[in-house]
Amino acid sequence: MKQKSFFKETLWLLLIIFTFSTRLFSQDINERIKLLEEKLKAQESLIQQQQSTIKLLQEELELIKKQSGQEKIVAKVEEKPAYKSGGLFGATSAYNPNISLILDTFLYSTNLKEDELESWNIPGFIKEGLEHKKGMNIHAAELYFFAPVDPFFNLYATIPVTEEGVELEEAYLVTTFLPAGIQAKIGKFKSGFGRHNSQHAHLWKFVDEPLVYRALTGHEGINEKGIQLTFLPDFPFYAQLGIEALQGENEILFGLDRSKGLHAFGAFAKASFDIGDYGTILLGPSVMIGDTKTESIEENSIFTGDTTLAAFEFTYKWKPSRWKSFTLQSEYMWRKQKGKIQDTSTSTINNLKRIQDGLYLQTIYQTGRWGFGARYDLLEPLNDKYNLDGVQTSFGDKPWRASAMVEFNPSEFSKIRLQYNYDKSSRTGKTNNEVYLQFIGGVGAHAAHSF
Amino acid sequence: MKWKIIKTFICVFCAMAFAGNLSAEINVVATLPWIGDIAKQIGKEKVSVTTLVKTGQDPHYVEAKPGLIIAARKADIIMYNGLDLEIGYLPVIIESSKNPNIQPGKIGNFDCSKFVSPIEKPSSVDRSMGDIHPLGNPHYHFSPASILAVAKGMADTLAEIDPTNKSHYQKNYQLFYEKWQEKMAQWKSKNLVGKKFIAYHTLFSYLANEFGFQIAGCIEAKPGIPPSSGDIKKIIDTANRVKPNAILFNVYSPKKPVEFIANKTGLKTILVPHDVGSLPQTDDWFSFMDKVISLLSEA
Repeated sequence: MKQKSFFKETLWLLLIIFTFSTRLFSQDINERIKLLEEKLKAQESLIQQQQSTIKLLQEELELIKKQSGQEKIVAKVEEKPAYKSGGLFGATSAYNPNISLILDTFLYSTNLKEDELESWNIPGFIKEGLEHKKGMNIHAAELYFFAPVDPFFNLYATIPVTEEGVELEEAYLVTTFLPAGIQAKIGKFKSGFGRHNSQHAHLWKFVDEPLVYRALTGHEGINEKGIQLTFLPDFPFYAQLGIEALQGENEILFGLDRSKGLHAFGAFAKASFDIGDYGTILLGPSVMIGDTKTESIEENSIFTGDTTLAAFEFTYKWKPSRWKSFTLQSEYMWRKQKGKIQDTSTSTINNLKRIQDGLYLQTIYQTGRWGFGARYDLLEPLNDKYNLDGVQTSFGDKPWRASAMVEFNPSEFSKIRLQYNYDKSSRTGKTNNEVYLQFIGGVGAHAAHSF
Repeated sequence: MKWKIIKTFICVFCAMAFAGNLSAEINVVATLPWIGDIAKQIGKEKVSVTTLVKTGQDPHYVEAKPGLIIAARKADIIMYNGLDLEIGYLPVIIESSKNPNIQPGKIGNFDCSKFVSPIEKPSSVDRSMGDIHPLGNPHYHFSPASILAVAKGMADTLAEIDPTNKSHYQKNYQLFYEKWQEKMAQWKSKNLVGKKFIAYHTLFSYLANEFGFQIAGCIEAKPGIPPSSGDIKKIIDTANRVKPNAILFNVYSPKKPVEFIANKTGLKTILVPHDVGSLPQTDDWFSFMDKVISLLSEA
């Protein structure tokens, strides 16, 4: 019954998208043909021009040869590109997509032993420990592709190559033809939920993600297959509204159950105001709901139920010039999961209700090519409910972490970062004193960055 | 419940999307101040112009702030410098604006550099040379010949978007052309031929080409990367050898290396406006050029 209505509603949504699109596709075909014809003509004349230039040069060369009587003349003929380049994406090799490769690698040191690192989990939140090893780590060599597909779509893909293999992190189409203010994103993408979630790792201000993301969404964040619709109303200030229908494969939030089709749904709103000439505020709430079936909560258990995740983000940035900026960024996140948890070895079923939250506050000061940052992470500031059949489980002290960071940017395309974490997140009484020395370098045509 | 919320959202989307902008003026969004100024001179009261990059800002490094995205949201046409100058922010502004009028390939996506023959186009590039512009030097707003061609292009394109006011745009272009001729005669009479300068950045190449002076070297040896002590030593050697008239810098150039070189060489420094409005008495493109040429001719 529910399944049927899902199907119906999806059809409805697609219908809306297509009514918009067909109208615009047909309008544009004539324009495109005209444009192509013009381009062809322009190229013909360019070829003619080049041929006559070549002729002229040949004649000149002959003349020089005759005059000097020498055969050993090295002529420098300037190579003319076949296309008049320019345009927004500045592609010289006309139809190749813009490609870039970003290497993100770091040296890691900690007072913990290797096995302690592997079990450095957050009891009550996640059971997985830390992934990185002492010594040298390759986070990824990430390949980015982007280009307009046609006058109707742009295509983006993020393909990190790690030592384990190749992954399709993101691959999506963005519409450019929908009526003013509306845009759709289709494919696999980082959800617009919250602030940190949609940022690529090489743009993070710290090596690692905020603790609250690791604890509530897993360290990869909400990165899902689905459809996103965003709307930018014609207001005097920036306000973006978005809705998402996602497959729901995030292991912690939604999990394994593919039989349900799209089963995670999100909405977010972001508003931004300029304060004075140099200051900008960006803030807004996000919410995500979905059905959950996951093995991620406790060892040898399956949880079946539903999840609600909510967040509020706040960013203030003051940037008087390229060489100076100050940023304050914070997010508060709240999660409720309710359902049944089954012990897979004994088959006993218990009711589980957990309501947990967390926040981070980070600040960055940039001067010249240097950046300095501090971050504070805290879990369970207000809610630490973990109820098994109505009985609260206590896991110990509130997990928290404090970080300090210094970075140097030799150019726009490279970065060297030193970071220290004082990490009390594993509730064992132990402290993880970790130091990262990170190197990031990017080559190729990289897409412009958003705010 | 879920679906009700989602449905409501979609309905709000559709309703708001069709409530379009009904004002009569053509909404021009220009990236740089000089582009906004030329658009004003060609469009006058028939256009309303918003400029994204502030007058004191380095046009190479601008952030795609939400405020800029909302400005582009309402544009009938977006006019930009091109030659990759705005590559770090404009593509994301245009896409995030969700405005179909200004997407690449549309008439509302106006690349001023289309009307210009770029100079200093490197035959091969890689980023060991710094953030070099592979399509050529993008600072052609110092070139009167290029600006005239851009103004013509703007008049034609505005006439195409707004055909009822075609004669208005043509007339304004004619006025622009007449003023341009008059000013050109004045500028050419100020003799810059044979002068030599050191500049912070490769801003003045077009001007040097067209007015016959020489840029003997740039303090910023690799674009976008602050000069190393070796670069500075080299430029001091160059200065001692070629004896330039002055060092040229602009409001967003780092002061320290400029002052250091001036002290070492005894050369005077000239703060040259880099764009319309960046210094007093540079309110439009003509007065901006007046100021630039008179500053250089007095050196």
